[in-house]
Amino acid sequence: MKQMITLEVNGERHELAVEKDATLRDVLHDQLNLDGPKKGCDTGSCGCCTVHVDGLAVYSCMRYAVACDGAKVLTAEGLSAGADLHPIQQSFIDAGAVQCGYCTCGMMMSAKQLLDETPRPDEEDIRHAIAGNLCRCTGYAKIVDAVKLAADRLAG
Amino acid sequence: MALQNLKDFHRPDAIEDVLALLGKDEETLILAGGTFLRGLEARGLLSGVEALVDIRRVGLDKVVADNNGIKAGAAVTFTRLRGVVARQQEAWLGGLADALDRPPVQVRNVATVGGCIAAACPFFDVPTALLALDAELTIRSSDGERHLPLPELFDGLFANTLEPGEFITEVSLPRPPGNAAGAFLKLEATANDLAIVNVATQLSIDANRVCTRACVALGGGVADTAVRSAAAETILVGSRLDAAALQAAGEAVISDIDPMSDHRASAAYRRAVAKVMTRRALERAVARLA
Ligand SMILES: Cc1cc2nc3c(=O)[nH]c(=O)nc-3n(C[C@H](O)[C@H](O)[C@H](O)COP(=O)(O)OP(=O)(O)OC[C@H]3O[C@@H](n4cnc5c(N)ncnc54)[C@H](O)[C@@H]3O)c2cc1C
Ligand code: FES
Ligand code: FES
Repeated sequence: MKQMITLEVNGERHELAVEKDATLRDVLHDQLNLDGPKKGCDTGSCGCCTVHVDGLAVYSCMRYAVACDGAKVLTAEGLSAGADLHPIQQSFIDAGAVQCGYCTCGMMMSAKQLLDETPRPDEEDIRHAIAGNLCRCTGYAKIVDAVKLAADRLAG
Repeated sequence: MALQNLKDFHRPDAIEDVLALLGKDEETLILAGGTFLRGLEARGLLSGVEALVDIRRVGLDKVVADNNGIKAGAAVTFTRLRGVVARQQEAWLGGLADALDRPPVQVRNVATVGGCIAAACPFFDVPTALLALDAELTIRSSDGERHLPLPELFDGLFANTLEPGEFITEVSLPRPPGNAAGAFLKLEATANDLAIVNVATQLSIDANRVCTRACVALGGGVADTAVRSAAAETILVGSRLDAAALQAAGEAVISDIDPMSDHRASAAYRRAVAKVMTRRALERAVARLA
């Protein structure tokens, strides 16, 4: 038996009938067609599925959708305003921080929480903030550059 | 994997409702942050569960910090507690601050104080820090309330001593007497992995800088549960916390641990690093004493 929940996703309200044991990740991806929250491990070890729930980064594969009833969710899709990319997104492109791209959406959501709280992070802050996100391609150096660049741009 | 037999997903808003739900004749599990529970589900260990009871809306999300110490509701997240601890800026909370910093942000934002101890997982960091702080738990059931020192919650690997119908509502951390400081260290293989060995230390000294109270706790597979080292504590109390005393205390933990061998490390390796990590965690606490 499905359960009814309400989610505000990227500013839009949705009434959804979800399986009781469905994860937030699966509901976002399978029912709302959002590609941002990727499934890497489904057990909280890779960070590909990172989204914000009520302003805080979480592994969406580790949250039951029912437990998020009433929450505000932000995915990578919600970072940009239409075609205008968010400074974090633009910085990931400009710094060459994207190779296969599988980790990117999750990385950006972790970066967002860091920059929301610490507008002027140093390298250690950045590496600590993305410790829960695995990247198999870049070696992290360019991701760290991208977050620094985004911090500079956001601070104006 | 899934919860094939899940019939009900409850989100009550009062403790009494939680107790009523726990009293029903169903295989019921408390859900807090879900970060441990989801891992069990993924390994196919929760196929019998019929009901989940989410305790995040029953008012157990408050933290009180005053001169007596800290009282945290069981559903307080690591992020929330970390914020309170950071604002206190007190040396006695140094070890807890270190430990709360270890899980990735995505875990800190949802994992709860109650969930991390109820899981009785010997590889977590925060329980080791709570053990060194003499944490006391408040446990509720429909029969009332009881209090339990943290070590009495642990009942071996992944097992706790809670009776059916009981759950943890609060964790309280008494402020240690005198000039006190704490520290925590973790040895891990990668940034997002659980500990190979972790150590939390808590020290108090008198006006002559003689140690009046010492707590040394170890986790990360040094035994089936996180443990205190009475042998190390005995050496420290009465000492001046000089290099020789810290070294001897590090060596002494061996008699209180019984490490396991697993994919992270061998028992022999854990035994070797436990000594060094203890000494370093003691040095870190000493450096923080006023
Ligand atoms: C990727 C990852 C990395 C991690 N890294 C670290 C780390 O570096 N350091 C560290 O310390 N920990 C780490 N953890 C572990 C994490 O701290 C625990 O998973 C978490 O604390 C469990 O709390 P929870 O609220 O999510 O519990 P849940 O998963 O909701 O519950 C855990 C268990 O306790 C029971 N339970 C929950 N609350 C109560 C209660 N109040 N009374 C009785 N029973 C209850 C549940 O039924 C369940 O069996 C990590 C976890 C993950 C997934
Ligand atoms: S898919 Fe969620 S952390 Fe890997
Ligand atoms: S770019 Fe491929 S995993 Fe990060």
